[in-house]
Amino acid sequence: MLIYLCEDSLEGVFSGIYKAFEEKRDKNDTALALQEEPLLFAEYQSVEPDADRTRRVMNTLLRRFGEEDALSLCLALSSEDPGKAQAVYGTVADGLRRNCRPGHLFDNLAESTVHKAFSLARAAGRELHHLQGFVRFEELEQKVLYGVIGPKHNLVTFLMPHFADRLPMEHFLLYDAVRDICGVHPAGAAWYLQKGSGERFALPGAGGTLRLSEEEKQYQTLFRHFCQAIAIRERYCPELQKKMLPLRYREYMTEWKKQS
Amino acid sequence: MMEYLALGGGQSLTEKLQILTDAAKYDVACTSSGVERKGNGRDMGNSIAAGICHSFSSDGRCISLLKILLTNECIYDCRYCQNRCSNDLPRATFTPEEVCTLTMEFYRRNYIEGLFLSSGILRDPTFTMELLYRTLWLLRNRYRFRGYVHVKAIPGAEPELIRRTGFLADRMSVNLELPTAAGLKALAPNKHRKSILTPMRQIQSGILANRNELALYRSAPHFVSGGQSTQVIVGATPESDWQILNVAESLYQKFDLKRVFYSAFVNVTGDKALPALPGGPPLLREHRLYQADWLLRFYGFRASELLDEERPYFNVLLDPKEDWAVRHLECFPVEVNRAPLEQLLRVPGIGVKSARRIVAARRSAALGFHDLKKIGVVLKRAVYFITCSGRLMYPVKLEEDAIVRGLTDGKDRVQFGSDGMTYRQLSLFDDGSFSRPVSALERQAGALGEL
Ligand code: SF4
Repeated sequence: MLIYLCEDSLEGVFSGIYKAFEEKRDKNDTALALQEEPLLFAEYQSVEPDADRTRRVMNTLLRRFGEEDALSLCLALSSEDPGKAQAVYGTVADGLRRNCRPGHLFDNLAESTVHKAFSLARAAGRELHHLQGFVRFEELEQKVLYGVIGPKHNLVTFLMPHFADRLPMEHFLLYDAVRDICGVHPAGAAWYLQKGSGERFALPGAGGTLRLSEEEKQYQTLFRHFCQAIAIRERYCPELQKKMLPLRYREYMTEWKKQS
Repeated sequence: MMEYLALGGGQSLTEKLQILTDAAKYDVACTSSGVERKGNGRDMGNSIAAGICHSFSSDGRCISLLKILLTNECIYDCRYCQNRCSNDLPRATFTPEEVCTLTMEFYRRNYIEGLFLSSGILRDPTFTMELLYRTLWLLRNRYRFRGYVHVKAIPGAEPELIRRTGFLADRMSVNLELPTAAGLKALAPNKHRKSILTPMRQIQSGILANRNELALYRSAPHFVSGGQSTQVIVGATPESDWQILNVAESLYQKFDLKRVFYSAFVNVTGDKALPALPGGPPLLREHRLYQADWLLRFYGFRASELLDEERPYFNVLLDPKEDWAVRHLECFPVEVNRAPLEQLLRVPGIGVKSARRIVAARRSAALGFHDLKKIGVVLKRAVYFITCSGRLMYPVKLEEDAIVRGLTDGKDRVQFGSDGMTYRQLSLFDDGSFSRPVSALERQAGALGEL
C-alpha cells in the first residue's frame, strides 16, 4: 500500500490525486492521507502542493463530472474530517473507472467511499448555504464592510465569490476567526485571501483597532426592530427558531448581539 | 403625489419601520427562490435560484426579504385585517426613498435577499399601484438594485401600471384572501372575487407572452420571472380542507401559479363575525395543507386522491401521504429495486431527493435497507411499505391499525387505540375542530417538503 501524504488544503489533495494518476496507481493499493499513521505495510510519500497540477486536476473534474459535482468534491475538502482526502480520491477514481456522465459522480451511494465524500460535501454545502444568509457585515469607517464567521468548515473561499458577485463595488472583509483567514475584496477588483492576519482584522472588543462607522449603529437598531416586529406572537415557537437557526451561528449575528 | 410625500411628518424611520413591518407580518410568503440572476460587476445584488434565509424570527419563520407595507393607511374595511379603516391604530407611510435606502443598506449588510413590498389602499387602487411602481422604479433605476423584489399587484388598479411594475419585479402576487367568493363577501366587503382574479390572469398572460418574447430576443426585459403566488387565509371562514385544496389545485392548473401560501388565521381585530379561536391559530390545518400542497406540486398527487366530499378534512394523526398509503394498502409493498419513480414518490418516508437517488444508485447494484438509510430514506416510516429484493426489513403486518400505531409517535398513540378504537373510527372525528399542536420538528420537515 502506497500512501500519499498531502497538505491539508485543496491544492494539497488535488496535487496528491494528480500524482496518483500520473503514476498510474491501482486505487486498491493506494491511499491519500493528511497525516502519517502507524500503519503496517504502508509506505508513505509526501506530495508538495502545486498550483499548476491543481488547476489541471480541477479542469479534468469539471470536464468529466460537471460543475456541480466538481464543486461538491471541493466542498468535501473544506471539512475537518481526517478521511476527506481518501474519500475524494476514492470517489474520483471510481467515477473515472465507471466513465460516468457529468452530474452522476455520486450516483453510487451504496459504495462507502462515495457515500463518505457525498456526506462530507452535503454537510459543508449545508453550512455554506446557511452562511450565505447568516453572515452579517458591519460598516466600518470609510464604508468598508466587515463580517466575522466561525464555521465548522473552511468556507471563506466559497463565500467570497458569492459576496463578490453581489457586492461588486463594495470594499469588504470576511474574517474566519477560527482559522485566522481573511477574505479581502477591494471595490471593483478581484478578491484574495490573507492568512494569519490576527488582530489586524478585529474590532476593539476582540483586541483590534477597526472602528464602526457613524451610521452603523442606526441600521443595526433598525434591523433588530424589524426582526422583532415581523414575528407573530400567536405562533411563538423558539424551538423551531433554534432548529432553523442553530445557536452556534448567533454569536456572530447582529440581531443576536447585545446592543453595545 | 406631493401631498402624499408630505404626509409622513413627525415619525422617525424606526417608528415607521416598526409600524409597517408589524402591519405586513401576516403575509406569509417570504421566499426569494426561483430566480437565478448573476451580478453584473457594477450594480449591487444578484439572485440565487435556491433562495436564501437570512434569519428566523421567534415564531420560527424564515426572514428572507424586507417585508413591509408602503403604507398601512387603507380605505377598505376587511374584517380580518388590523389595517382596516375602522380600526384605531397608529398609521405610517414610507416615502419611496426611505424604502429604497432601507433595502440597499439592509442588503449591503447581508440582512436580506431583497424587498417584499405590499401596501394598504391609499386613496384608490390605481394611486396605490402608482406608488408601488414609482418605488420599484427608483429602486431599480436610481439605486440600481439587482436583488430580489416581490411586489403586490393591487386588484382594481390600472392594468398598464400592473404591467409596468411586473417588468421591475421578480415575483408578483395577488392575495386570494379567502378560499371562496362567499367567504370574501362576508369578510371583505370592498373586495370581489372577480377583481382579484383579473390581475392574476393578467400576470399569467404577461408571463407567458414574456416567455415567448425571451425565446426570440434573449435581451428582452424580464416580466415577473420568479412567477406568481397568492395567499389563502385558513380558518377565518368555514371552508373545509377539501375546498381549500381544490382551490389551490385549480390555481396551479388554471393560473400557472408558482406557489399558494396558506396562512392560519390569527384573530387580530376581535371582530364578532370571526371565529375566536381560543386554542390559537389553526396551525395543524395549515401544516397539513402545506404538506398536501407539496404532494400536488412534486409528488404527482391529485387533490381528489387526498380528500373528497365524504372526507373533507385532513387526518389529525397522519400526514396526507401516510394517510393515503394506509388507505391504499393494495398498492404496497413497493419493490425499491424495480419500482418506477412515480411509485417510489408515493411511499411515506421517501422524499423527492431520495427517490431520485434510489433510481440513480440501483443502476450500480441492488439496494438493501442499509443503503436506503444512507440515501436519506426515513426507514422508520417507509418499512411498512417497501421491500428490497423481495424482502421486508422485518416482518410487519400489512394491516391498517398496526401500521398507524407504528407511524404515530408515543404521545398520539395514547389517544388512539386506548379503548379499542380503530383507526377507521377515529378518522370520523377529523372534522376540522379536532386538533393537536404541531411540533417544531414537524413544522421544520413541512417547510422543506419532506414527506
Ligand atoms: S385592503 Fe383589506 S386586507 Fe388590505 S390592508 Fe386594506 S383592510 Fe387590510
